[in-house]
Amino acid sequence: MGSASAAPVVELADVRKTYYVGGVVEAMAGVSLSLDAGSYTAVMGPSGSGKSTLLNLVGGLDTPDEGRVTVDGRDLSTASEDELAAVRGTDVGFVFQTFNLMPRLTAVENVALPLVFDGWGRADRTERARELLEDVGLGDRLSHLPTELSGGQRQRVAIARALATDPAIILADEPTGNVDTETGDRIMALLGELHADGHTILLVTHERRIAEHAERIVHVRDGTIERIEDLGDR
Amino acid sequence: MNPREAVSMAVRSIRSHRLRSVLTVLGIVIGIASVVTFATFGASVEAEVLGDLEGSGANNVYVFASPEDDDGFDRAVQPLFTAYDVNQIRDIDGVRAVVPQGIVQVSAVTHGNETVARQQVTATVPETFSNGSTVAGRPFELGAAEAVVNEEAATGFRENLSVGDELRLELSDGGARNVTVVGIVNGTAGELPVGGFGQQPRIYVPADPFYRTVVESPTVGVNQLAYPQVTVVADPARTEAVEQSVAAYLANESDAGQLKSDDVELVARTSGDFAEQIGDVIGQITRFVTGIAVIALVVGAIGIANIMLVSVTERTREIGIMKAVGARNRDVMQLFLFEAALLGLAGSAVGVPLGLVVGWAATRYAEVSFALAPVWMALAVAVGVLVGVVSGLYPAWRAARVDPIDALRHE
Ligand SMILES: Nc1ncnc2c1ncn2[C@@H]1O[C@H](COP(=O)(O)OP(=O)(O)O)[C@@H](O)[C@H]1O
Ligand SMILES: [Mg+2]
Repeated sequence: MGSASAAPVVELADVRKTYYVGGVVEAMAGVSLSLDAGSYTAVMGPSGSGKSTLLNLVGGLDTPDEGRVTVDGRDLSTASEDELAAVRGTDVGFVFQTFNLMPRLTAVENVALPLVFDGWGRADRTERARELLEDVGLGDRLSHLPTELSGGQRQRVAIARALATDPAIILADEPTGNVDTETGDRIMALLGELHADGHTILLVTHERRIAEHAERIVHVRDGTIERIEDLGDR
Repeated sequence: MNPREAVSMAVRSIRSHRLRSVLTVLGIVIGIASVVTFATFGASVEAEVLGDLEGSGANNVYVFASPEDDDGFDRAVQPLFTAYDVNQIRDIDGVRAVVPQGIVQVSAVTHGNETVARQQVTATVPETFSNGSTVAGRPFELGAAEAVVNEEAATGFRENLSVGDELRLELSDGGARNVTVVGIVNGTAGELPVGGFGQQPRIYVPADPFYRTVVESPTVGVNQLAYPQVTVVADPARTEAVEQSVAAYLANESDAGQLKSDDVELVARTSGDFAEQIGDVIGQITRFVTGIAVIALVVGAIGIANIMLVSVTERTREIGIMKAVGARNRDVMQLFLFEAALLGLAGSAVGVPLGLVVGWAATRYAEVSFALAPVWMALAVAVGVLVGVVSGLYPAWRAARVDPIDALRHE
């Protein structure tokens, strides 16, 4: 990974997003934020404050109604569906609270899935997936199905998958939300290592203890940024 | 995404729902098998009938009276063609021989001490045996107490007939005549080429002295022998021309034209005409029945579409995951389309051989020889895959359009 220079890799400029499902919900009500390359940012706020929406917009899973979202110089608000797919596939790696693993694929196959869509051959991607699983300490669980793994193991498979195409940005949405404290610490240690390796990390959580792993905390409420708390380089 | 990966993922998905996939494919199997069965059976019957026709003289023009608005298969037995007509036709350019055929009513035929009941024997002229189908002996002579039998008649007695045997014909007018069998034949030039499957036993006797049916010739004004059917043997190079000349003669100057009632039509046909006509009829029936089988295929297609739609709904979350890790819309589309196409292909792969087996069994049962319908078979496979693709198209499109956010929230 490149060094932690101060150039922003992600920029949000006055981003708005409204959902009209069962009433009008302004999930993003004018948010501006930039993430420097190699930075580690936590987004904190109560449930329903728009944390996941923010993360999804950065990852190209969602598009803004107004404003601009720029990732690696690419404006996602005007990007085509294929360009968004490319962003999701190679620019960012997602880690979800509920893991979101394919239930009928083994650990190796799950980790290799982004590589399938990135055009890798079978042997290469299996090799890469095996290495990544070894890196997260699951070298002995390669052929297990998600149902045969514990919550913490599943989340580590998901982290390995997020790293498959070697994206610069890791987006983690409550990655410790479904695991016990001890396992959560292990997950956070892994994210810390990724940060140390130079990845830009955007972490969503509602727990202060978890957020404190980051360099700064962005506090959101009702779709707006309340304040940004700098925790300093750690 | 590489199509090979898409196929392998589609195969996986099909295999993970074994029972469901089998049941879905079953609909296509039944549809394809029905189409192949009917098409094969139709082709076999057609090949059999046309093969029979090809065997008979291609240079014969068959002249007979047929009820109007009819396909011409019914042989009208009214004696319309007089000796005058026979002579006139013989004079037409390109005609080599004219073979009139009449019916002599009999009540029984005796061979040795065996008597079999028979309704009729055929009265004709020696030219009818000129088609090279004589198996043993020679043609009869006009005016002689002789008979020729076909192989079916020869073997119809407990003791097979052979040349030189005596037959006693009980005529329906009360008299009886002894005739000597002088020849055994396998088909004659005089017969219409539409005898159905297999030959009937036939006994042929000379028109003179056995044939007695007379009518008054309107042209000549005297009583003459009159026949219900006449076969014109033409110069092979001029069969068509002869057919036309004969038809023109029948329409304009013939005794038959004046004798016939209004509801019958005089026709002159070559075996090629018969072949065409029969081919048309069989083709129509085949198409109709096969068309009904296609309905089964459509029902199968709806089954695939239904299952694919269920599958898209069930796998919404998986689609969301794939999109979150970089799958493009067309990748998702491809996955579901391949899955549907594979189901269709599997249906064809099982349905075609099954249809062939059932079609073959049907030809055994109907005692016709088996013929393939390769075009229909290729069509069935293509249709199977197409049915899969088409029925998968809408579900795949739905899958491709799944919004990843909604999909990931989907339980
Ligand atoms: N796809 C969606 N459809 C409808 N409403 C949504 C959707 N996504 C989020 N929302 C709404 O937007 C608001 C913010 O949601 P979210 O970003 O998930 O909050 P958080 O992650 O902070 O809990 C909530 O009120 C939520 O109900
Ligand atoms: Mg959330």
